[in-house]
Amino acid sequence: MENQSLKEIQLQLSRGKISVLEIVANYLKKIESTKDLNIYVNVFKDEAIEKAKALDQKYKDTPEQMGRLFGMVISIKDVICYKDHPVTAASKMLSGFESMYSSTAVERLLKEDAIIIGTTNCDEFAMGSSNEHSYYGPTKNADAPEYIPGGSSGGAAVSVQAGTCSIALGSDTGGSVRQPASFCNVIGMKPTYGRISRHGLIAYASSFDQIGLIGTVTEDMALVLEVISGSDEYDSTVSRNPVPGFYQNIDIDQKMKVGVLNSFFEHSRMNAEIKIKSKAVLESLQEAGHELVPLDFKSIDYLVPCYYVLTTAEASSNLSRYDGVKYGHRAQNITDLESLYKRSRTEGFGMEVKRRIMLGTFVLSSGYYDAYFEKAQKIRKIVKDEIDGLFSKVDVIALPTSMDYPWRIGDENQDPVSVYLSDVFTVIANLCGIPALSYPLGYGSENMSSGIQLMSNSFEEHHLFNLSALLQNMA
Amino acid sequence: MNSIKISDYEVVVGLEVHIQLNTNSKAFARDLNRFGDNPNTNISAITLAHPGTLPKANKAHIEKALLLAIATQSQINPTHQFDRKNYFYPDLPKGYQITQDRYPICEGGHITFESEGRIKKVRLHHIHMEEDAGKSSHDLSDRVSMLDYNRAGTPLVEMVTEPDLRSPQEVHDFMAYMQKLVRYLGISDGNMEEGSMRCDCNVSIRPKGSTIYGERCEIKNVNSKKFAKQAVAYEFKRQYKMVSKGVVFSKQTLNFNPETGVTTPLRSKEDAHDYRYFPDPDLPPILLAPEYIQTLRESMPMLPEQYVEHLTSKYGLNEYNSKELTREKAFADFFLRLAQKEHDYELLAKVIVNKILPEVKDSGKSIEKQVVSDERLLEFIGLIKSKKVAPSVANQILFPAMLDQSNVNLLELAGRLNLLKSEDQGFLGDILDDILKNHPEELEKYRKGNKALIGFFMGQAMKAAKGKADPKLLKTELVKKLND
Repeated sequence: MENQSLKEIQLQLSRGKISVLEIVANYLKKIESTKDLNIYVNVFKDEAIEKAKALDQKYKDTPEQMGRLFGMVISIKDVICYKDHPVTAASKMLSGFESMYSSTAVERLLKEDAIIIGTTNCDEFAMGSSNEHSYYGPTKNADAPEYIPGGSSGGAAVSVQAGTCSIALGSDTGGSVRQPASFCNVIGMKPTYGRISRHGLIAYASSFDQIGLIGTVTEDMALVLEVISGSDEYDSTVSRNPVPGFYQNIDIDQKMKVGVLNSFFEHSRMNAEIKIKSKAVLESLQEAGHELVPLDFKSIDYLVPCYYVLTTAEASSNLSRYDGVKYGHRAQNITDLESLYKRSRTEGFGMEVKRRIMLGTFVLSSGYYDAYFEKAQKIRKIVKDEIDGLFSKVDVIALPTSMDYPWRIGDENQDPVSVYLSDVFTVIANLCGIPALSYPLGYGSENMSSGIQLMSNSFEEHHLFNLSALLQNMA
Repeated sequence: MNSIKISDYEVVVGLEVHIQLNTNSKAFARDLNRFGDNPNTNISAITLAHPGTLPKANKAHIEKALLLAIATQSQINPTHQFDRKNYFYPDLPKGYQITQDRYPICEGGHITFESEGRIKKVRLHHIHMEEDAGKSSHDLSDRVSMLDYNRAGTPLVEMVTEPDLRSPQEVHDFMAYMQKLVRYLGISDGNMEEGSMRCDCNVSIRPKGSTIYGERCEIKNVNSKKFAKQAVAYEFKRQYKMVSKGVVFSKQTLNFNPETGVTTPLRSKEDAHDYRYFPDPDLPPILLAPEYIQTLRESMPMLPEQYVEHLTSKYGLNEYNSKELTREKAFADFFLRLAQKEHDYELLAKVIVNKILPEVKDSGKSIEKQVVSDERLLEFIGLIKSKKVAPSVANQILFPAMLDQSNVNLLELAGRLNLLKSEDQGFLGDILDDILKNHPEELEKYRKGNKALIGFFMGQAMKAAKGKADPKLLKTELVKKLND
């Protein structure tokens, strides 16, 4: 059933060759057999079965009333709220917490008859690039279980990679959907900032966070994006732009100017094989009639510092609500208010989260605000201006998704700055709020996968879908 | 040589006035914004800062803040922005308060009010929008603190004045004017005892004539005009004592205890917060269209001083009555409502000012809750106008009786009390004939030229008529008979 598009599945459903119950049962079986990969935090098994039965019945009774995602099974990252279901951000802090409301994205999926099969593991509060910073332990790469799947949406990427669902919703603050997708040989897409409501997405860094999609079929991803996008009264940062028909407008014949960011491909830490494979993809695009335009990018060295100053600042404030007072982890045997705060937060948060809270608190403190936070905001503007300049010349910009292949679990460099620096290719889209898609490059010599990243201007996701569908066609 | 006196010093006060706005819903969530509900009933996931929730600005919050900006001639910023003020406290659900730091909704402006017989002008530094915190109660139990999040997210504006106030009485009168202003604008009920309006008083002292400000102390969260006056007066004396002894004191945050009348330190400089203000990434800057502000300007409710002008020019009322009627917006509204039906505005104003307002004051009833119904009051005025009851009799006898016996028909009541002037004034002739017959000497003197005696005859006649005579008619009749 892997790689079957929803369209094909719906055709089989309509011919009675398969039922939703069978689809769900297959996925549940797969989830059971891949338990060792530690993909899911919670599997909504009984509920998914009940929902499948109900949908099969609904189809019998009123086939004309089926939602557009009828037959689709989706996993959601453990940072996306689903009413009366646990959501923990893979943190001890929220262990046992259930959301009293559904995120706008989940509401819209359910309205179109999708089935949510479970919540996927991730780095705690979406902070990390390896999925090793989870309260529930690391998720493993399905291609090589001793390797990381990437992060922070590692569980989401593996849930698709291992065939336990057809689409995964993740979240992408600095590459958290695209990088694990590239490490797991699947497609990962972060839409424009403001395309999808963040209502019900547990915040890491509010001006960067965006729900993203992981899948294997471009058309399915386009359809799901179409369903969950659009204005929402609960989120003031979501765009009121009309949502285009991403799905029906896919056009693999659209010819584009594709900018090639040489300064990224020539990065000193760039893996040679990934570079060669990426260039090959670009050449195939050229052969297909697209024009390649070499581009330069001056601000490359500022991207990571700028990103980490701003995201940690926002995170330090966003995570203040987890104080042990209203919900979530509360330390035992506290003596006073200060000990309640200190001990609950010390016990509830993991190392990486604490590191980022402290960094963010520092860059916002009086005396440092101007030197760090304000300066980083100015740099963000400069980066955005430079990218805007590039989009006046091209439709799409191509660059690698990551510098290297996934590393072995536990091998992560002890120096966090070095890990942060490896985010350089993905943070640019979040700094600028533009959409980006990672398309798999297939397996390399070590049987590991990587991806090529395509970015378009804000609200021009259709360019990315067109190229993704073309590459899918050529494969 | 220690000859300085407190009278050589002046107190310098700047205020931060927090005003809860009377919007239907909260500042950044749809929960009801309502005082007095059972604890923790108006609390959604957003108010409780559950994971994944986001704030959404409330248009009514912005609009009410703009009304205050326009009323105070403050400069409205075309773009304003919300910031986060970060600190931990259990009644602050998000761990930060949404407020405005760098780009408040408006800057500058002034408040003009009357104090101790003089017109006083206080400049404003700015007005910003923010949300209130929840309410902590530490004294309901000796074991735990109680938290009520109903108030969390209540829309506030904070008005920050320049240090332009110079006496405890001015502080009192400023707050009284603010209360009046917000009620006229319809943006808040202004009830200080319910916490709808609170102020922080920044107090310093300096030798009279000095232009340098002294080190200031801030008295937090004062919730009555009277307390503000007392707190500032106390602080003036306290600071004077220190200064006169040569004690150097540093900036402090104080609490005022109304029971003891004393200010005590809340926290000192050492544990001052670093609030780490930064722009709230969840709330994009708000751009105000000039046309929108223009529409608001045109639809501004009348301010107290405009109301006085309106009542004198359009309704021809004297200044005294106009001022009395605008003492509270409810009074003025009451007058205007009745003025649609009763066009003898002067008489209407007189009755409201002389009869209704003292009654409102004495009974403690609000004028809306009605001392007397509209219909009954109009009927009362009607009786005076139709001369069925003499004005003095109406005011002194019928009015209190009308309030006491609210279920008796007014005309019937007047009749029962024997207050109605007789329709048939024929009885006047008999009365007058009697009087002239009984006072032959006076009549003789009058007829010989002592015309002043007419007053004597009028007095006798009025007495005999027991108030039921129309004085004008009586006089005409009397003159006729005297000259016969």
